[in-house]
Amino acid sequence: MSNVIVNRVAEFLKRFPPFSFLGDGDLTRVAQSVAVQYLEQGEILFQQGEAARPHFFILKEGIIHLVETSQKGEEIREVCDEGDVFGVLALLGKRPYLLTSKVIENSLIYAIPVAVFEKILEENSRVALFFAAGFAAGQVVVRQDLSQGQKARSELKKASGDHSLLIFSDQSAVNFSEKVLNCPPETSIQSAAKLMAEAQVSSIVICDSQDFPLGILTDKDLRSRVLASEISPKNPVSQVMTSPVITRKKQDGFSNLYLTMIRHRLHHLVLTGDGTDKSPVCGIISDHDVFLSMGNSPAVLIHGLMNTQEVGEMRKIRDRAEQMLCYYLENEVSMEFVASVMTEINDVIIRQALEIAKTELKAEYPEMNSTRFCFLSMGSEGREEQLLRTDLDNAILYEDVAEGLQSKAAEYFLKLGEGVVEVLLACGFDPCPGKIMASNPEWIQPLSVWKNYFSDWILHPSPEALMKVSIFFDFRSVAGSNALAAELSDHIYQEIGKKQIFLNFLAQNAMKNPPPLGFFRDFVVEKSGENRDQFDIKLRAMLPLTDLARLLVLSHQIVGINNTFQRFEKLAELESSNSELYSQAGKAYEILMRMRALEGLQNKNNGRYINPKSLGKLQRQLLKNAFAPISELQEIVNIRFQLDYFRR
Amino acid sequence: MSWWEFWKPKHERLEFIRDFLAANEQTIPGIRSIDQLNFTVLDTETTGLDPSRDSILSFGAVKVSELKIQIPTAVEWYPLSENTGGKTAQIHGLVDIPDQISKEEFVRRLLPYLGNSILVGHHLGFDLEMINRQLSDFGLDQLPNAGVDTLSLAIRLEHGPQADQNRIKMGTYSLDALCERYGIDTDDRHTAAGDAFLTAQLFLKLLKVAERKGIINYRDLIKNW
Repeated sequence: MSNVIVNRVAEFLKRFPPFSFLGDGDLTRVAQSVAVQYLEQGEILFQQGEAARPHFFILKEGIIHLVETSQKGEEIREVCDEGDVFGVLALLGKRPYLLTSKVIENSLIYAIPVAVFEKILEENSRVALFFAAGFAAGQVVVRQDLSQGQKARSELKKASGDHSLLIFSDQSAVNFSEKVLNCPPETSIQSAAKLMAEAQVSSIVICDSQDFPLGILTDKDLRSRVLASEISPKNPVSQVMTSPVITRKKQDGFSNLYLTMIRHRLHHLVLTGDGTDKSPVCGIISDHDVFLSMGNSPAVLIHGLMNTQEVGEMRKIRDRAEQMLCYYLENEVSMEFVASVMTEINDVIIRQALEIAKTELKAEYPEMNSTRFCFLSMGSEGREEQLLRTDLDNAILYEDVAEGLQSKAAEYFLKLGEGVVEVLLACGFDPCPGKIMASNPEWIQPLSVWKNYFSDWILHPSPEALMKVSIFFDFRSVAGSNALAAELSDHIYQEIGKKQIFLNFLAQNAMKNPPPLGFFRDFVVEKSGENRDQFDIKLRAMLPLTDLARLLVLSHQIVGINNTFQRFEKLAELESSNSELYSQAGKAYEILMRMRALEGLQNKNNGRYINPKSLGKLQRQLLKNAFAPISELQEIVNIRFQLDYFRR
Repeated sequence: MSWWEFWKPKHERLEFIRDFLAANEQTIPGIRSIDQLNFTVLDTETTGLDPSRDSILSFGAVKVSELKIQIPTAVEWYPLSENTGGKTAQIHGLVDIPDQISKEEFVRRLLPYLGNSILVGHHLGFDLEMINRQLSDFGLDQLPNAGVDTLSLAIRLEHGPQADQNRIKMGTYSLDALCERYGIDTDDRHTAAGDAFLTAQLFLKLLKVAERKGIINYRDLIKNW
């Protein structure tokens, strides 16, 4: 029988996860089993090394620090406040406590017997996930798989009443036809068209006798390659088909398949047994199939962008992309996919902007038309991880020109850069406060000057140079001649090879911002003990990770991977001893990106400053867990680059 | 004074009363530390303030042992009384009382529940007077249990053992005032169980203050009042 006392306990518990996931019956059973304890400042609830008690705890009021004692002394690992669940080792591993819980502010503590909870843990998957994902305090010490946290967040969120259509939750929900219309290569164009008309489809795959795909013919091909080119419909279809065909296998998963279509601008993607064109056709996916399952699809948006040079229209499409982004983020669509799609959209905008600017300057600078150049994106867009329209960081690199043309080239490319930047600003991107943009003459230079810039930064790593490095080293060629960008990359690696100590400077720079401990109440808890009420997620969590990833990638001489989370994946591959930590760091970065973007979308800003007040308990814990790999990585870098020695 | 003097031979002692009294013959050693003591923190809601005329509407209690409030022991009982539906009932919102039990059933549940625990309440004397009146019909005049009044304990801790209660503003020692002073949320007062829970939390906090003042065992705790 429940009574007022039990109800009161239940009412408190219900406010916090995992108790918020319990039904009334279970909640009452749990509340009925609680023991309430009051400890004063300075007292200790449990001691590191002590055998786990048969209950775990939730803090009703007060503050408790979870402290680790080691040879290095005492270190605060977590700060618990109202509603934090801790001391759960008893529940999970029945191991001795790894941390000591110290009462910092008089605390009322509810102890919940493990026995009561074990059954719930078995039966309630969301409660189990809460613990498995490491959302209880002090669990970070036992390194958690952050992917569990990501998964858990979306799982746990569903309860909050998000019933929106989950397009990616079930990949089989995206239909594609397994019956593929096909014909042999010698079929006449007319018969092929007839087959298409009868089957009411917009494409036909041309196959050899083994059903291996040789080519594809679409409605568009009939229009442009047959009718418009006045080719006789009696000719064999092999003469007008697109060949070879880009193929993938069905098992590649929807995001990958779809990404292939976006990247190659395919309207139809042929699926084969093993993914190559040396195996039988087993399906076809059309953009129409995709459109049917998605309203605001990347393909629709990119298609729209490609077909307009009207800036107002481009901006509208970019705004729509943001709605799509919001939907993807909220539904935990993989960050790799989200980032790729948004990068592609941003890139298309840049390329279109470049076309607009080029067209305008064409008549005025005919001699510049053949000069090779490339448009570089840097910073987050360079790393292919710019989700929101945050600061533009870009530049122009052009080939060295004959002496007489130098000033003309400088003038032309400045005008070109200004033109592009104007379009991008009109599309809603923010200007770079440091003026690192293709409208600043300093960053519109021929290859030789760029090489000198980088040589200088590497040889004289002043604090200012290191700041530039963090932006410029992530450059990526978005449009124009990739060869120029590749040449610059080679030069950079040569210079670093000559001056290895540069990496130590870079390492030192990457250590500047240790991540905070976590949050409590409305404060960010710093290791040094100071509090602030707004958390700079970029400076305190993302920047250390991008800096660390860049440093390690440079030290391994890896080229061509710009994404921070993909860099970590690559590092995990290269250093098997640290592979777990690297993949956790990659996951942490994805979590941070998602959180920042969501925050930005919600508040219509760049999402950089997060108000801890606005975060729920789960979000805080997820964020807190994401900090853990940063500290560990910094530790590794500290040792690897002998920074303690170096600082002297 | 022993309870034996108040024993009225005309009543046949019921078995549960005999058991209860037997349990209470065991005295608690003075040196037993506070964390080893068993307490029952209780509160009653009554039809009025006159123990000779009014009766108990509801009784709520929870036990404290090992210095922890043991929620599994929480109880809330609604004994039937002669004049239910009176004014207090209105004030306390106890109009539709669930699961009412007879007076005898109440006593039959109460005594085994209390056992030989130390009784704790805010203004405990009043609650005990009300309870004792119910017991008299069963041949028991007074509960033999030791008791701690959180009101007196708070005064003793804040003003010292010699404090003259007449010179202290009693308003600052109401349960509400003390809860506010000791940082306890008083969300739904005026149910017996709710107040018992608040009193239990207050009691835990007072015991910490007591500990700092060197009050660490049974003798120290019940001395002086």
